[in-house]
Amino acid sequence: MKIKSHSMLFAALAVGAAMAVPAYAAKDVVFAVASQFTTTDPYDANDTLSQAMAKSFYEGLFGFDKDMKVIPVLAESYTASKDGLVYTIKLKKGIKFHDGTDFKADAVKANLDRVTNPENKLKRYGLYNNNIAKTEAVDDSTARITLKTPFSAFINQLAHPSTVMISPTALAKYGNKDIAFNPVGTGPFKFVEWKQTDYLKVAKNENYWQKGLPKVDSITWKPVIDSNSRAAVMQTGEAQFTYPLPYEQAETLKAKADLDVVAAPSIILRYLSMNTQQKPFDNPKVRQAIAYAINKEAVAKIAFSGYATPADGIVPEGVEYSVKIGVMPYDVAKAKQLLTEAGYPNGFETELWSGYNHSIAQKLTQVLQQQLQQIGIRTKITLLEAGQRVEKVESWQDPATAPVRLYYIGWSSSTGEADWAIRPLLASDSWPPKLFNTAYYKSDKVDGDIKSALLTTDKTEKAKFYKDAQESIYKDAPWVPLVTEKLLSAKSKRLSGVYTMPDGSFDIINVDLK
Amino acid sequence: MLQYIVRRLLGLIPTLLIVAVLVFMFVHLLPGDPARLAAGPDATPATVALVRQDLGLDKPLPEQFIRFATGVLRGDFGRSLRTKRPVSTEIAERFMPTMWLTVAAMAWSVLIGMAIGTLSAVWRNRWPDRVGMTLAVSGISFPAFALGMLLMQIFAVQLNWLPTVGADTWRHYILPSVTLGAAVAAIMARFTRSSFVEILQDDYIRTARAKGLPETVVVVKHGLRNALIPVVTMMGLQFGFLLGGSIVVEVVFNWPGMGRLLIDAVDMRDYPVIQGLVLLFSVEFILINLIVDVLYAVINPTIRYR
Repeated sequence: MKIKSHSMLFAALAVGAAMAVPAYAAKDVVFAVASQFTTTDPYDANDTLSQAMAKSFYEGLFGFDKDMKVIPVLAESYTASKDGLVYTIKLKKGIKFHDGTDFKADAVKANLDRVTNPENKLKRYGLYNNNIAKTEAVDDSTARITLKTPFSAFINQLAHPSTVMISPTALAKYGNKDIAFNPVGTGPFKFVEWKQTDYLKVAKNENYWQKGLPKVDSITWKPVIDSNSRAAVMQTGEAQFTYPLPYEQAETLKAKADLDVVAAPSIILRYLSMNTQQKPFDNPKVRQAIAYAINKEAVAKIAFSGYATPADGIVPEGVEYSVKIGVMPYDVAKAKQLLTEAGYPNGFETELWSGYNHSIAQKLTQVLQQQLQQIGIRTKITLLEAGQRVEKVESWQDPATAPVRLYYIGWSSSTGEADWAIRPLLASDSWPPKLFNTAYYKSDKVDGDIKSALLTTDKTEKAKFYKDAQESIYKDAPWVPLVTEKLLSAKSKRLSGVYTMPDGSFDIINVDLK
Repeated sequence: MLQYIVRRLLGLIPTLLIVAVLVFMFVHLLPGDPARLAAGPDATPATVALVRQDLGLDKPLPEQFIRFATGVLRGDFGRSLRTKRPVSTEIAERFMPTMWLTVAAMAWSVLIGMAIGTLSAVWRNRWPDRVGMTLAVSGISFPAFALGMLLMQIFAVQLNWLPTVGADTWRHYILPSVTLGAAVAAIMARFTRSSFVEILQDDYIRTARAKGLPETVVVVKHGLRNALIPVVTMMGLQFGFLLGGSIVVEVVFNWPGMGRLLIDAVDMRDYPVIQGLVLLFSVEFILINLIVDVLYAVINPTIRYR
C-alpha cells in the first residue's frame, strides 16, 4: 500500500494500520461510492446505495446472499398458510440490538406497523401497505403477518434491504424522523457518525450474533461523486473498494499491480419500449421489425464497452423464475420485409427518447438511431433529464395522449423475483402514472398469469405461470430487450469478502483486509 | 459614509424580495414532479401522494409562497426535500469549506495575478510581458475540470505528494485552490496590466519620475495604488462568483461545498435548498458590491459617498 504520511482522516487510519503490529492491526476499510446517502432509514430510502450502506448496521428477517438467493437472517424459518394469507415467522433467539435490548417479535410488529402507518409518511409506505393487513407478536420468538391478498413474493419483499429490524426502543426514543440520524440495528457494525458532506462511519459490533464476524474494525462509506476522482482514490490507496467504476477507467486500473477490477453479473436489464397504443407501434410486425433491426451485440460493445451481454429474455437471469428465451436475432432483411408487410416499405419518422442523459445513453441512442435508419425508420433522439422524464413519461396522466414512442430505459427487480420484474413494467394496470408500463402493453394472458402466480404459493405452479407470461411477452414484443449490464467495481488486492450483488447492492458481511 | 452604508443595506430589502419571488416562481416552473422524483422508482401512486403531502407540495402555489416567505422572515428556509434536514443546516455545513477555498484561491491568484500584471506593464512588449500574457491567456483558456484532473493525476496519483479528495487539512486545499484560482489569476493579470499601462503614461507619473524618485517607488507607490480601482472591482466580482461554489472544482475534488449542494439540489428538484442557495448568492453579491464601493473610497480618498 502506497500511502504517504498525510493527515487525512482515512489515510491516517490506514497508516496507523500499517504501522501497528500486524496481529493487532486496526482494520479500517474505506469504500468510495458514487453519490451521497439520502438517509440511513431503509424504509424511507428509494436508492439502492443508501439501502446497501444501511446493511452495515441493519438486518432483516430474511436477506439475499451475494447471488440474490433468499436466506434467513434474523428469522429461523417460516410457514405460509394454505390460502397464502398468513405468514408465521420463527425468529432466532439471543440476538441483541446495538442498544443492548433483545430482538424479539415485538420488533417485527413495531417496524411493520411503522411503515404501514400513513402518518409516518415513509417513502416505502405503498409497497408494504398494499399487502400487509396486520402484524402480531404471538410470543417472543414468533411473529405472524397477515396479508390483504395472497402475495407469493412476500418473503422476497421481507428479504429486500428495505425491510430491516430497527430497535423498537430506539424508535420510541428518537422518533420517526430522527431515527435516520441515530440508527440502531442488529447488524455487524454499529453506527458511529454521519458527516453528511463527507462520509458515514461504522465500527465493529463486538457482540455480533454471528461468531467470528465482522473481521474488520470499521468501514468508512465515502461518497466521491466524480468517477475519475473515484478511480484516483483507488490508485492512491485512499479507498479499498469502489463501485461503480466507469468503463473508460477499467483498463488503467487493471494495469495497477495492487488493484483488481471485477465485472460482476447483474439483473439490470436495459430495454427499448414501444408505445403499443400508438401508430405505427400498435402493429406487432412493426415492433418485431424494430427488434430484428437492432444488433444487440453492437449495443453491448459500443455503448457498454463490452461490459454487458445481449439480453436473452424478458426477465434477466438471476431473478427468480426468469426464463432464458434467446437473444432476438439481428436480421436486417427480415426487418425490412416485416416493415413492408406492415405497410411501411419506406419506413417512418418517430421519436427516440432515453430516460437517462448520461454518456452511455447518448452512445446507445446513437447506435439505435443508425441501426433503425437501415430499415428506413428515422428517429429524433431526446435524452430526458430526470425532471423531464417524470413529466413526459412517468407521470403522464392520459394514456391516450402519451407522447412516448420509442423509449430507452432499464429496470432491476429489487425483490429478486419475477413479480417485480414483470408486473410494474408490463401489467395493464401498471400504465403510467401508476407504474412504469411505458409500452402501454396490455395482454389479458399476461395479466392473468401475473395474477395467478401471485395467488399460488406452489413454486412449480408459479414457475409455469411466469414462463408462460415471459414467452407471450417475448412474442408480442412490446419491448426490444437490449442488454443485461455487468457491474464494474475495483478493489484493493488486500481486500476480500466484498461483492457487488446483481441488483447493484453490496454484500459486505465477510469483508476482510490483509 | 456610515449613512451611505445603512442606506445601501436598506436597499437590500426590496431587491431580496424580488429575488425571492423570481426564484420561487422559476423553481416551480421547472419540469418534473419533485414528489415523484423523491419517492423513487419503486413507488406506487399512493406513496407519491403521501410524499407530496409530506413535502407540502399539495398546497396551492400562493400558499406555498406565503409559507416560504414568512418562513424566511423568521430565518426558517424550510427543510430539504431530500435529506429532510433544515435548509439552513445544509447550507451552513457547506458554507465554510467553500468560503475557505474561495479565500485561498483568491489570495494566491490576486497576488500572482497582480505581480504578473505589474511586471508586464512595466516591461511592456518586452519578454516579461510576452511570458506573462501567454500564461494569462492559457489560464483563461484552460478549462477548470481538465486542469483539476491533470493536477490530481500528476500530484496525487503519480507523485503521491498531495491528497486527492476531501477538505480536512491545508494540504487538501492546494490542488483545488490552484485549479480554482488559475482563471482568476489570469484575469487579474490582464486587468492589472491594462490599467497600469494607462496610468504609467499619466502626467503625475512623469512628475514623480522628474522629481528623481527611484523607479520602484514610482511604480509601487504612485502607480499601483491608482491602478487598483478597476482591479478591485474585478476582484469583488470574481469573489462573488467563486463564493457561489465552483461546481466543476467541487465535483472533481469532492469538496463538501455549496457548488455540489446546488447540483445535487437541482438534480433532485430540492426546491427549498435551491431557493435558499440562490437567495444566499444574491445577498453575497450585493454585500460584495457594497464592500467594493467602500474600498474605492479607501484607495482613492477623492471618492466620497453621500
